[in-house]
Order: sequence, then structure tokens, then C-alpha cells
Amino acid sequence: MVVAAVAAAAEQIPARPIPASRHSRSRESALSGARVGTGAVGPTGVGIGWRPEIAGVVEGLPGLGFCEVIAEAIAPAAPSRGVTELRGRGVPVIPHGVRLGLGDADGVRPNRVAHLAACAVAVEAPLVSEHVAFVRGGGREAGHLLPVPRSREALDVLTRNVRRMQAELDVPLALEPIAALFDWPDDEFGEPDFLTELLDRTGALLLLDVANLYANAVNRGQDPSAVLDRMPLDRVAYVHVAGGAEHDGLYHDTHTDPVPAPVLRLLDELRDRARPPAVMLERDGRYPPAAELRAELDAIADGTGFTRVT
Amino acid sequence: MNPGHLRTGDLAARQAALVEALVAGGPDPAGFDVARLASTRTALLRKRAGETAKLWPLLAASHGNRWQATFAAHAAGREGVGALRDGWDLARALRTAGALPGSAADELAEREAGWRYDGASPPGRRRCARLKALAGNVLGRLRG
Repeated sequence: MVVAAVAAAAEQIPARPIPASRHSRSRESALSGARVGTGAVGPTGVGIGWRPEIAGVVEGLPGLGFCEVIAEAIAPAAPSRGVTELRGRGVPVIPHGVRLGLGDADGVRPNRVAHLAACAVAVEAPLVSEHVAFVRGGGREAGHLLPVPRSREALDVLTRNVRRMQAELDVPLALEPIAALFDWPDDEFGEPDFLTELLDRTGALLLLDVANLYANAVNRGQDPSAVLDRMPLDRVAYVHVAGGAEHDGLYHDTHTDPVPAPVLRLLDELRDRARPPAVMLERDGRYPPAAELRAELDAIADGTGFTRVT
Repeated sequence: MNPGHLRTGDLAARQAALVEALVAGGPDPAGFDVARLASTRTALLRKRAGETAKLWPLLAASHGNRWQATFAAHAAGREGVGALRDGWDLARALRTAGALPGSAADELAEREAGWRYDGASPPGRRRCARLKALAGNVLGRLRG
């Protein structure tokens, strides 16, 4: 595992853009009607973020509704065997980008746009997702998702970048608001209004992460339920749930800790307001025994009123 | 350039200043909550330490519960260059300082036998290691 990971870490995303859009359009007619841009059938039920470390657990989930894969971790020409097997079982796979930088004021890079588009084609994705965040600046990589100022200027940047990405996709793009430990000093919008404006401008869908929402609300001294009320819930394509922990009086969305009760309660509240079409668990390290992962999946299924997938 | 003078209308420069402050030891841009920026820096280092531990399991394990602190002491203010190189740079720095534990030293030696790494650009497989891998592949296929 480590040797393969070392080889993968040494690989770079190809500098030469793959002509993804042409490729994908030529394939579109061969695919089912579910993949049409508008009115597309997105994921349904309960899913999980596929990671090589938990591939065995994921493989053993009979009722799995869908999976998400980190786009930067797959090679479109040869997706991991685990991912290919899931597609073989008919499990929808959603490429989830983490390094595109839709909030980068310098613009999104053509090779990264092409890569995400090629991933969508490779796994016959019903949709693709990325973050409302910037990831690099001045030639430096942040190595993390960073918040943009909630300003008109940032909205213009995001809109431009989102449209560039959408132009290469034959499937919808869903945008995920991130968990951030700080805000910019010159925010002009609250987060719900900022997101609503961005979705209105671009027609993108919402990937609502209830753990991110919880983290931001708590760290800003806001009531998570009140923030949830103001989110554009009619635009939700699917929902993320993840674990976190408190460090130095702040709630950190770590993805390496259990999902805390208040985050699960937020899922209940979401169901009462607008039941999401799909919900999934994200875990990115310090993987617990399979039984614990399965219990979290059950809790998420129960919280959203879906049949358990374990 | 004083980032304090950058207000709206130049988001690219402001993003650059913020990234520099968070990962490369630059000054905190004016107007931000400095405690929150410090928490973000710590969280970033914790995340990098976790990613590095996946690729350098013996390096991480040999430090036990001091791993995050050891990694952070090395990586703070140093821009991340990916978990593979971050771990490699740390292992070499510890070796130079005579502070690289035995199992981690073996891990580093094994990696350096198979890969070329100049400390500045992405590592590449050594030619003999590449040939060996290729031969192993071919043999594996022949054996079915």
C-alpha cells in the first residue's frame, strides 16, 4: 500500500490538458438519459467517500447508494480497481475535486479543469463536486481549502471559474461551502446569502456539508439551526457528514474523528425542513474498525430516513 | 509590499499574502483575527503531518506521540511540497542532525535506493529500480 502510495504521490496531474470535453460529448449519446445536464438524476440514498484504506468496508456495503472519490487521487485513464468494481456493481461514483481552486482570483488552471471533467467521463458520474474555496495564491499552494471573502469581487471570481468548469462538463456541478476557522475582515454577505447568490448566478447545485455548517456556526458564535434555515435547501444535490473535534476552544472539521451528536442532530433538522436526496459519510484518516464506520452510516441513514445500507 | 495596504479590488494579491502568511512564514495580513490565523496554521500542520505519516509510516511511528510536534517544528513556515517530499526532507534533516531513529533510517535508506530525489524537484525512480519493477511486472504476468 505504501509503495503504491509513494508512486502515486510522485505522479503529477498531467500538465498537458486532456481534451475532456470533446471526449465526453462523443460518449454522451451512448449513456443513459440519466446523464442529461438539466433535470439530471443525481445520487440517492446513503453513500460514503471511497478511500483505498476503507475499500474493503465499502465493498461490503450491500445497499450502498453512491460513492464519492477524490478527483485528484484518480487517473481517469485507469481508475483504481475498487472504483471500477463499484461502477461494475452499478454504484454511482461522484468525482469530488479538492484542488481546483474555484475561488482562486488568478483563475482555474486548464489542466485541472480538464482532469475533473475527464474523471466525470471515466466514472460516468451523475454529477461532479468542488468547493467554494481558494487553494493557491502568488504561486504557492495552501495545501488546504481556504475561505474567500464574501464580497462582490469574490463572487465575480467564483462565477467566472465555476462557468469555466461547467463549460467542460456534461453533468451538473455541485458546490460545497467549506469549514473555515477564520473570516475575511471585509465580508459583505452572510454565508447563506453569498451561496444563494453564487448558485443563482451559475445554476450550480449545493453540496451541503452539515459538519462544515456546524463548525462555522459554532466558531462564529451563531446558532447552527438558524444558519440552516437560511441556506438554499431547495438546491441541495447531496449532503456530507463528517467527524470533528475541539482544539483550543474551536471546533475543527477533521474528518479523522467520530461524527459528534450535534452534527447528527443537524441532519435531523435538515430532514424536517427539506429531506435531502442523498447523504454520505466522509472519513479521511485514523480509520476506525469497520463496525464503527458501519454504525455511523446507520446513524446517518436513520437521521435522514433512508434505509440502512449496511 | 505591505499587505496591510491591500484592501478590496486586488483579490489575487490579498490571497497571495494570506497563503504566504499561512504556509510560508509571511506576516499576517491586516484586519484578520491573528489567533484564528494561528489556529489555521496549526490545523494545516496537523493535516500535513497526518498525510506525511501515511507515506512515511516508520518515520511517524518512531516518534510516537511526538510525531505531530516533530513534524510541526520542521515544517512550520516551510511551504508544503507534498507529503512524499515533506517526509523526505524531514527524514534527511533528522539524519543530518543525528536524530533519525533506526527504523526510520532504514525506511529512508530503502527509499533512497529506489528513488532519485534532489531535494528540490519531484523524486523519480532510479533507472535500475525502474528496470527491476518492469522485470517484476513482466515476470508476474508470465506467471499469470
